[in-house]
Amino acid sequence: METIITASKLSKSYSLGVKALNEVDLSVFSGEVVVLMGPSGSGKSTLIRTFNGLENIDTGELEVLGVRLGSFATEKNILRVRKKVGMVFQQFNLFPHLSILENVTLAQIKVQKVNKEKAEAKAMNLLKKMGIVEQANKYPNQLSGGQQQRVAIVRALALEPTLMLFDEPTSALDPERIKEVLDAMRDLAKQGMTMVVVTHEIGFAREVADRVVFMDKGKIIEESDPKSFFTAAKEERSRKFLNQMMQ
Amino acid sequence: MFFSKKLILQFFSTIFITLVFFILLNNLIINLFRTDMMFDLGWLNQPSGFALSENSLPYNPTNSYLWTLLVGLSNSLKVIFFGLILSTIIGVIAGASRFSSNKLIRILSSYYVIVIRQIPLLLQLLFWYFVAFLNLSNTPLSILGNILTISNQGVRLLGIDISVEFSALLIGLTIFTGASIAEVVRGGINSVSIGQWEAFRSLGIKDSLGMKRIVIPQALPAILPGLTSQYLNLAKNSTLAIAVGYPDIYAISDTTITQTGRAIEGFTILLIIFLILNLIISFAMEVLNKIILSKVYKY
Amino acid sequence: MNLLKKNNSQKDINLKHLTTSSTNSLPQKINPFNIRILTRDFFSNPLDTTLTVALIFISILGSVNILEWLIYKANWNIVTKNINLFIVGSYPKEYSWRPISWLLIILIISITTLYTNLFKSRRYLIWIIIIPLGIYLHSGGLGLKPLPTDIWGGLSLTLILTLSSGAIAFPLGILLALGKQSEITLVRFVCKIYIEVIRSLPLIAVLFFGQLLIPLFLPMEVEINRVSRAVLAFAIFAASYIAEDIRGGLQAIPKTQCEAAEALGLSKRQIFFQILLPQSIRTALPSLTNQAIGLLQNTSLMAILGLVELLGISRSLLANPEFIGLYLETYVWLAFIYWIICSIMSLLAKKLENELRINQAKE
Ligand SMILES: Nc1ncnc2c1ncn2[C@@H]1O[C@H](COP(=O)(O)OP(=O)(O)OP(=O)(O)O)[C@@H](O)[C@H]1O
Ligand SMILES: [Mg+2]
Repeated sequence: METIITASKLSKSYSLGVKALNEVDLSVFSGEVVVLMGPSGSGKSTLIRTFNGLENIDTGELEVLGVRLGSFATEKNILRVRKKVGMVFQQFNLFPHLSILENVTLAQIKVQKVNKEKAEAKAMNLLKKMGIVEQANKYPNQLSGGQQQRVAIVRALALEPTLMLFDEPTSALDPERIKEVLDAMRDLAKQGMTMVVVTHEIGFAREVADRVVFMDKGKIIEESDPKSFFTAAKEERSRKFLNQMMQ
Repeated sequence: MFFSKKLILQFFSTIFITLVFFILLNNLIINLFRTDMMFDLGWLNQPSGFALSENSLPYNPTNSYLWTLLVGLSNSLKVIFFGLILSTIIGVIAGASRFSSNKLIRILSSYYVIVIRQIPLLLQLLFWYFVAFLNLSNTPLSILGNILTISNQGVRLLGIDISVEFSALLIGLTIFTGASIAEVVRGGINSVSIGQWEAFRSLGIKDSLGMKRIVIPQALPAILPGLTSQYLNLAKNSTLAIAVGYPDIYAISDTTITQTGRAIEGFTILLIIFLILNLIISFAMEVLNKIILSKVYKY
Repeated sequence: MNLLKKNNSQKDINLKHLTTSSTNSLPQKINPFNIRILTRDFFSNPLDTTLTVALIFISILGSVNILEWLIYKANWNIVTKNINLFIVGSYPKEYSWRPISWLLIILIISITTLYTNLFKSRRYLIWIIIIPLGIYLHSGGLGLKPLPTDIWGGLSLTLILTLSSGAIAFPLGILLALGKQSEITLVRFVCKIYIEVIRSLPLIAVLFFGQLLIPLFLPMEVEINRVSRAVLAFAIFAASYIAEDIRGGLQAIPKTQCEAAEALGLSKRQIFFQILLPQSIRTALPSLTNQAIGLLQNTSLMAILGLVELLGISRSLLANPEFIGLYLETYVWLAFIYWIICSIMSLLAKKLENELRINQAKE
């Protein structure tokens, strides 16, 4: 199986001396869905953001899609990775001054140099699959949270990424909107997309994940298949966390 | 109670203000009468009799005071107009440089703002005039072939002659206002959420393009009001022209009042001019604001 | 689920600078000369590298030239020979201890305010007393020989102008801000007009007409000297800006504060003086600091109108054949003085801001 991400001994601290990542080792393989869990401040976001160079590491080795993103990462390498890695954020982060269609075509036109018609055709196609094609000419603030998040997914998919990163994609949504986003992600997983997902949605993790990785205080505490993780977590800290989650 | 407390207060404060007003007015009239200077605008038609070092409208000393003041106004408008354009360019560049990926550029642009803001504008203008320009030799120095030549006699840009006074004033105002605009721009950019940066970066868009297409458009609503007040400041500060001998509206009013002794009238004229100037700038910015907002946010 | 609490937009804004975001200030353990960080900050791509090299080259060349000028080429005679003129103007030698001791007192009080806790509760009182003390020491009377204002000058005049006009402008500005929200139509109208008119005028015009017009509005018998006219004009000008800052601060206070206070049974006056005003000053403090620094810098405009404060005294020195052409030396020296005073003012303002914040926390 092809490796998509190889991380070894990743460490990172912030200015206040907080160790956000502490010697993290992790590999992600092609077609795999990895779910990251852990309490607030455990370093999940920091870790997932190093995978597309949004966050710089201090020490350790990191290779994403064959490109080295270690502590010597150059701007060129980072841009190379970002073109192949899509990311979806908790707060959607759509561009509010651009229409939905423009949101989806901007990077295609500017980064991939695709011509406008082609980019739009592709965007419309993806929006259709996501069930939001009627929204194409609206602006982000005219959409519901769930719709916005699906646009964000389409925006990333339009670049035909090899790897998708999701950082708590449903945490900012109303409960009744969560499902539509999770469904979209489920479809994506079925199509064989490699995904790293930070989420607290246990149902989703149980059903879709190939592997659950539990983090605490910047370290990976436990790594196992979802079934054994949710029924019989090995570590005390994981069990405590799961108990809290279930309440 | 028949009279409420509020009504009584209303009544007495009105009386008080009116009384103060009349005392001041009375003093004014007595003083004007004593010096035989009652309000009168007839002198505006008399020839001014003084020479101007430069004029954007045709002028000679036999022209009336009224015309002289208009020439001064046109000189002011000229420096304000170019000042607005240049300081906006400098301010936007310096403000955006605070977000450069190059730390040296970040440091330099922050020093620019700090240093410029710690030194009085008047001192800066005197520096540009007496040190930067009058210290040049009088044999013209050519920069960029023959596009730009400078000497202590003046600047020649693409065949257009520009006086030393105008150049010093324009550069001083531009650099001073540019620093303030840079702060406005920086504040505006800071008001755009960091998620927007992360979103475009994760799409593989470079910072320079993201700044142009994503960040600046969203920063504009926060930038424009601050920009307006900097433009108003620039217009007002342009009156420091008098320190470098550029004949702007204020310098000419000053000379006019010294010659004629018509302080009240001169004050009134200057006040009206500046009220109108302020209105024009505010109004233009309001319109611009509307246009930009409707362009940026089409919904 | 209270596991999700962190708000992205509150993260260190410096993140935005960096292509590969990491915080700007480095973690303690990492060597700042780490090649990775140097690369990221200065050489992240060819354009960056060229820019960095060019800028370093220019900066070094510039600094060398500036240092060489400062140390070898500049002729500092104009400063060293006239240091007393710069400090007290042409105040007679045998009396110059008066302004000088005033300046020293200000310096000492600034330092004690900044770095010690001496007289902490009386500090505001001390700062207010400074102003009449300065006027008394300068003009004399009550046991000191009276001296006319035309001989005041230099740094001490600059500070007299700044402090006394500030002391008038601040309460006047508060009154105007209050008046603009008054229920009495005429008061509201007058305050509005005042603020609009003054804010639309250039300062130099306000100062010039202050010199010409203020006497016209006073009874014939009253004589008012140039310094007082200047102080009044500055105060009239600054008050309109302070009023707007305070008003901005008032607007920033949530309505609920007022309602809560009313519910507690406080009177209108109590609400204003104990709740609204302190809060609005606290919010407006950064812009008020800018006003104060602006006021100091703007006293230099009086040089155009013939007072010999810092800039004025320099102009008359530059007209002296002995020092002709020493513009750059003089301006650099002046910039240095203004820079020091501005810095002290900013530090004092920061200190005040911190103290207010601590008081707020205690409340
Ligand atoms: N920009 C920053 N500056 C300083 N510290 C930071 C910064 N970003 C994150 N941290 C700290 O690093 C640690 C890890 O943060 P991270 O955001 O990765 O946690 P997380 O697991 O994603 O938490 P959450 O579930 O709340 O999103 C935390 O202690 C956090 O406070
Ligand atoms: Mg997170």
